[in-house]
Amino acid sequence: MSEKLSSGYRINTLLGKEAVIEKWLGEGGQGDVYAVQYGGERKALKWYKPCGMGKNPQAFYENVKDNVMRGSPSPEFLWPQDVTEWKDGVFGYIMDLRPDGYYEVSDFMLTNVRFTSYKTIIDAALHIVSAYRILHNIGYSYQDLNDGNFFINPKNGKVLICDNDNVAPDGRKTGIIGKPRYMAPEIVMGLRDPYNLSDRFSMSIILFILFCLTHPLEGKRSLVPAMSPELQEKLYGSEALFIMDPEDRSNAPDPKIHRNMRAVWPCLPAYMQEIFLKAFGQDAMKNPNARPAELEWVNALVRFRSEIEQCQCGNEIFTEDGAPCVCECCRRKLSIPFRLRFQEYAIPGTPGSRIYRCQVGSCKLDEVLKPVGLVVSKKDDPSLIGIRNMTDKSWNAETPSGKSKRVMPGEVIPMKAGITFTIHDETIKIESN
Amino acid sequence: MPKIDELEATARRALHIFYVLDTSGSMTGTPVATLNRAMEETVEVLRKQAKSNADAELKIAVLEFNTGARWIQPNGPENMEDFIWEDLSAGGLTDVGAALSELDSKLSRKAFLNSMTGAYLPIIIFMSDGYATDNYQKALDEIRQNKWFARSTKIGFALGENPDMKMISEVVGNSEAVVRTQDLDLFARLIKFASVTASMMCSTSRTSNQDVTGADILKEAIDQGSAPESIVENVPVDVPESSADEKDSASDGWDADDWE
Repeated sequence: MSEKLSSGYRINTLLGKEAVIEKWLGEGGQGDVYAVQYGGERKALKWYKPCGMGKNPQAFYENVKDNVMRGSPSPEFLWPQDVTEWKDGVFGYIMDLRPDGYYEVSDFMLTNVRFTSYKTIIDAALHIVSAYRILHNIGYSYQDLNDGNFFINPKNGKVLICDNDNVAPDGRKTGIIGKPRYMAPEIVMGLRDPYNLSDRFSMSIILFILFCLTHPLEGKRSLVPAMSPELQEKLYGSEALFIMDPEDRSNAPDPKIHRNMRAVWPCLPAYMQEIFLKAFGQDAMKNPNARPAELEWVNALVRFRSEIEQCQCGNEIFTEDGAPCVCECCRRKLSIPFRLRFQEYAIPGTPGSRIYRCQVGSCKLDEVLKPVGLVVSKKDDPSLIGIRNMTDKSWNAETPSGKSKRVMPGEVIPMKAGITFTIHDETIKIESN
Repeated sequence: MPKIDELEATARRALHIFYVLDTSGSMTGTPVATLNRAMEETVEVLRKQAKSNADAELKIAVLEFNTGARWIQPNGPENMEDFIWEDLSAGGLTDVGAALSELDSKLSRKAFLNSMTGAYLPIIIFMSDGYATDNYQKALDEIRQNKWFARSTKIGFALGENPDMKMISEVVGNSEAVVRTQDLDLFARLIKFASVTASMMCSTSRTSNQDVTGADILKEAIDQGSAPESIVENVPVDVPESSADEKDSASDGWDADDWE
């Protein structure tokens, strides 16, 4: 905490406007956040602490200014919109206010707030991964990715990424190397400055935490009586070891402390376990190029989302290969009459199931999560279901007897075993269970 | 899938903050009143922060010394989220040696530092306004052999007209981490800023791989409190190499049994 700016205090900005302090909202390690009046609108002002601008405050300022001029890469980013003049050696920047209903990752970690469903967790994860994919694809890196950077809505999984002051063209130093426990091993060891592949590592930590409420590098080994800087360097750097590493169990979950791991990990589908094992495997610790790319995350998460069904009792069930299964809570059998078979896996074909754009071939970044097909039921007879073409192009479908049909945008293919249809590069087959 | 409501909060390491506070006769009146209000405000801010701190579980313990030394929480550090400040009153001698011996006896896994989830190195904030009335040298020599003391982040406050800068600097082990001021309001602000900055050490993004020291924390508190840098008075102290450090590096500190 530092001396606060008082209500009514006025600060001029780079774009020739004025920010008038309304009230103090909160504080982080780098600075305070205020609600301000700015050009007739209510906005947020991030106001730095003297120590919050890295080693070279002038370069830090220039970087924020560049980000303002460039504009936001994606709506998920609470991007700097204007930068203030300097006052007593510090400055600030203007951004949108965080809307109601959004919480920090730390609130989820401390269970002050909980996601309403696993599908919502997956949606949050997908938003995070997609946003970084866009950022990395335009040649930028975030550089200080940690649990304080995200505001997440627990009801719909929407994500806002804040603290975009450190975002910089990949390779440019901002003077900030990251937050302890969230830095990639090579950064902890001082081998290099943050860049897009260290972002990937930090992002994987956040994704793991969202699902497991456990830090991926903090198993038995981390329960040390005194975390000295040397130990910190080992546990998160030179000897970093995944809590679920199958080869070396020395950092395995402690049965009393890390109970979440026992509950969640065995329930994760194999491909989700695999991507976490890849992200935190010894290869990925030592060779940043071995870390899963954002697209791999998107594919795994989209598949995971498609494979979750909800039982009547409210429990979410992970279905394997779109096959019927039994609810582990109420022991009811979950009826899944049809599955949709893709090249590599199948998903349940039940009302509400979606086929995403990224599941049917390569696509533009902003279209990854666009639903292209949706399983719907008939209004007058809900027992009849089909797949609606949500795209603006027609699909080719083929009946079991070999007849070809065109499925126009908005039209529905009846759910019948044996029908195949092609969306973009993927041919999907309807199978009965 | 397991029910989301049944998952537990993420395990946090403990971060212990020890306040070692002089409540001798010379603190009577305004000084102890200011100390009480400053601590009350500090605790209020720390308590709010503790609720959303996913990096560390803040724990606090207060050791007051006058004629002898006394823990305000005899059962050990309390969770900051539940902690309520109890006003101290002043009177008696300045038994610094007694305070150091008492602190030494509790800086141990068998005593106050027994967190199941592991712990960060502790923070020790030491405040005095006078000269020791007991022979503190022996206690100082002993506590310097305590690994937790040796490796803790220490900050000193020297209050009043005639504090023993040499003694306080020796306790803190680094004179650049000692603030000297007669301005009680400034002290109140600085102890609050320093406490908050120290408690957020594990949550703050770094500019380098170097450790954060008590001197770094004070510098930041001084910046934030718009205080003159000159209030950090440089009294050179001779801190002997702690054998505790050597033991630590020999064993790498990996083995939990190394620490007692």
